[in-house]
Amino acid sequence: MKRRVFAGVSLSVMMMAMSAHAETVKIANIAELSGPGAAAGSVWSDGVDLAIDEINAQGGILGMQVDMSKYDTQTDPQVSRALVQKAIDEGAFALLGTVYSSSTVVNMLVAQQNGIPQFTASEAPSITQKGNPYIFRTNWGAQKGMPKIATYLKDQLGVSKVAVAWANTEFGKGGHDSFVENVKAAGLDVVADVPSEQGQADFSADVLKIKNSGAEAVFIYLTQEEAARFLMEAVKQGLDIPRIGDSVLTSEKVIDLAGPAANGAKSHAALTIAADDPLVQEFAAKFSKRFGYSPDYNGMKGYIGAYTIKYGTEMVGEVNSQKLADVVHGLCLDANTYPGVLIDMCWDDVGEVSRQSYMVEVKDGRETVSEVLPAN
Amino acid sequence: MTAFRILFLITFSVALLLAPIGQSNYIIYILCSWLIFSISAMGLNLTLGYAGQISLAQAAFMGIGAYVTALLTMAGVHWLVAVFCSISATFLIGLALGYPALRVQHHFLAFVTLAFNALVFLVLRNEEWLTGGSLGLVGIPRPVFGPFDTMKQLPFYYFTVVCFLVTAGAMAWMLRSPWGRAFKALRENPIRANSLGLNTTRMTLLAFAIGSSMAGLAGALQAPLVQFIEPGSFTLILSLKILLMVIVGGSGYFFGPILGAALVVLLPEMLRFTDGYYLIIYALLVLVVMIFSPQGLLGLGRKLLIAMKPRKERGDLKQGAQL
Repeated sequence: MKRRVFAGVSLSVMMMAMSAHAETVKIANIAELSGPGAAAGSVWSDGVDLAIDEINAQGGILGMQVDMSKYDTQTDPQVSRALVQKAIDEGAFALLGTVYSSSTVVNMLVAQQNGIPQFTASEAPSITQKGNPYIFRTNWGAQKGMPKIATYLKDQLGVSKVAVAWANTEFGKGGHDSFVENVKAAGLDVVADVPSEQGQADFSADVLKIKNSGAEAVFIYLTQEEAARFLMEAVKQGLDIPRIGDSVLTSEKVIDLAGPAANGAKSHAALTIAADDPLVQEFAAKFSKRFGYSPDYNGMKGYIGAYTIKYGTEMVGEVNSQKLADVVHGLCLDANTYPGVLIDMCWDDVGEVSRQSYMVEVKDGRETVSEVLPAN
Repeated sequence: MTAFRILFLITFSVALLLAPIGQSNYIIYILCSWLIFSISAMGLNLTLGYAGQISLAQAAFMGIGAYVTALLTMAGVHWLVAVFCSISATFLIGLALGYPALRVQHHFLAFVTLAFNALVFLVLRNEEWLTGGSLGLVGIPRPVFGPFDTMKQLPFYYFTVVCFLVTAGAMAWMLRSPWGRAFKALRENPIRANSLGLNTTRMTLLAFAIGSSMAGLAGALQAPLVQFIEPGSFTLILSLKILLMVIVGGSGYFFGPILGAALVVLLPEMLRFTDGYYLIIYALLVLVVMIFSPQGLLGLGRKLLIAMKPRKERGDLKQGAQL
C-alpha cells in the first residue's frame, strides 16, 4: 500500500512538473555571484529577481510564467563561457548577464553561435563593436559617456590639465582609451596616467603621483572596491582637486565603503536612484524593501534587462530568440508605456543604448543630481 | 603489467570515447576542460610528484603555450605547427628558468616560480602590441585536419582525447625509462641518487622543463577550446588550482593528477544544484580529503586497499607460535 501511495504521489508530482514546464518561458541569468565581481553581480542579480517576480505576478510573458535559472560564474571568464553554453543547452531562449566585460567578451561568442539574444550589464566599448547581432546593453558603453565628461571638464570646471586613474582590465582599459582620446580632442592635457591592478589594496603611490603631477582634476575609472580605496587615500593625502568618475564612482556601494571620503565626488551617471523620477523612486523603494539595501546602477540594469525581454517578446507575439533579437535592434521604449525600463531608452543596430544622463554629486553620503544631460 | 591494470586502461579509454555521447554541449565542454587540465597537472606531477620540486609557475607556462598557439593560428599557421612551437617555447623557457631557479629547492623554489608567474602575467598584459593587453585575444580558430573539422564541440572533444592519450602514453613510457627511474630516485633520496652517479641537477632541470612543456601543450589546447585568452586567466590562482589537482588526486601516482583534475573541474559543476552553497561544500570536501589523507585520494585508496586485504600469514609461523 505504502509503495502504491508513493508511486501515485510521485506520478502526480511528475505530471504537475510536466504541465508547469509546458507553460513556462525559460530565461537564464549568468552573473558574478562569487569572486571579485560579486559586489556588482549580486546587485544585478537581485535586480533581475525583483523584475522576474513582478513579471510572474502580473501574469508572466504572453501569459506564460517565467522559469528563471541563475548561474554563478565565480567572476571567471572561462566558467562564464561554459555556463552560457549550459543555459542554452537547458533551453533558455534569452540570456541576462554577465556584468564584468572580460567575461562578456568571451561568453557572448557562444550566445552568438547559438543565436540567443543576450542582455548584458557590461560597459566596455569593445562589446558592441564586434558586429555581434545578439548582444544588447542595458546601459550605454563607456565610449558614449566620455565626450560628455570631456565637455564637462573643459567648460564647467575650466581645467586644462587632468589626471586619470584606471583599472587595468578589459573594463578599465576600454574606458581609459576612450577618455584619453576624448579629452585630447577637447584640447586638455593628460598629465598623469595611472593604471592599477584588480583588487589593489594600496593606492598611496597612485594618489601621490597624481598629486605631484599638477593635475587640476582627476578622472577615476576603477571598479567599486578600488574606487572606494582610492577616494579614502585621496582624503588622507589631501588631494584637493575635483574627483570625477562615471556611474561607479558615486554608486551606493562606493559610498558605503568610502564613507565620508566619498563626499564631493562627482560622476556622469546614466542610471542613478537619485534621479528625480517617480518610476526610479518606486523601483528604489521596492528594491530596498525586499533586499534591505539601496540598489545601484547594476540593480537597475538587471531590472531593465529582464523587462526588456518581456516587452520585446510580447511585441513579437511568440517566444522566438531570433525575432526577439530583430525587434530590439532599433527599438525605443517609452517609460510611460513600458514602466519596466524606468527611463526612456533606445537601442541602435549594434545593441548600443541611448538615454539621458545625469551629473551626480555625493553630498552628505547621498547621491544628488546636479544636472540632467540629454541623450546622445 | 597485471591483467587488472590492462583491463582498467581499456575500460578507461572506452569510457573516454563514450563519455560525451548523448551529452549536452556544456558537459562536453567541461570534459574537454578536464582533459586539458589533466595534461597540465600531469606535467606538474612530474615536477612535484616525481622530482619532488614545488612549482607555482604552471599557469604561466600554460599562458605562454596558449598565447604562442593563439598568435600563430590567428596568423594563419596550422595548429600542428603552432603546438610544436608552444611545446618548444615552454620547454626552452622552462630550461632557462630552471637553470638559475633550481639552485634553490622546495618552498624557496615555490617563491621563485611564483615571481615568474607574476612576471609572465605582467608581460602578457603590458606588451599590448603583441598580446592585446588586458583586452586579450578573441576569435582563435579551432584546428581543421583535412575533412575533420573540430569547430563543433564533439569533434573538438575527440581531438582533445587523442592529444590526452598521446601525452599520457608518452608520460607512461618516460616513467618506465631510465629517466623515470632517475626522477623517482631523486625524490626518494637525492644524496643517494647522486652517490650512484646520477647528475641530480640535470635530472631535476629536465623534469622541470618537461613538466613545463606539458603545460605548454595544455595551453595550446585551451586557446582553441575557449577561443579567447586574456592575461587574467593565467594568474597565480590557476597555478594554485593545478597544484591542488596534483595534491588532491595524489602526487607521485600516475592517475593522481587525472583524478585530481576531475575533482577540481567536475565536482563544483556537479554540486551546482546546491545553489549558493556549492563552493562551501566543495571547499569542505577538499579540506576533509587533505586532513584524512595528505597523500591525496589515490593515497587514501591505497591505504584502504592495504587495510582490507587479508594478510597472508605463513602457516609454519602460526604453528610455531602455538608451540
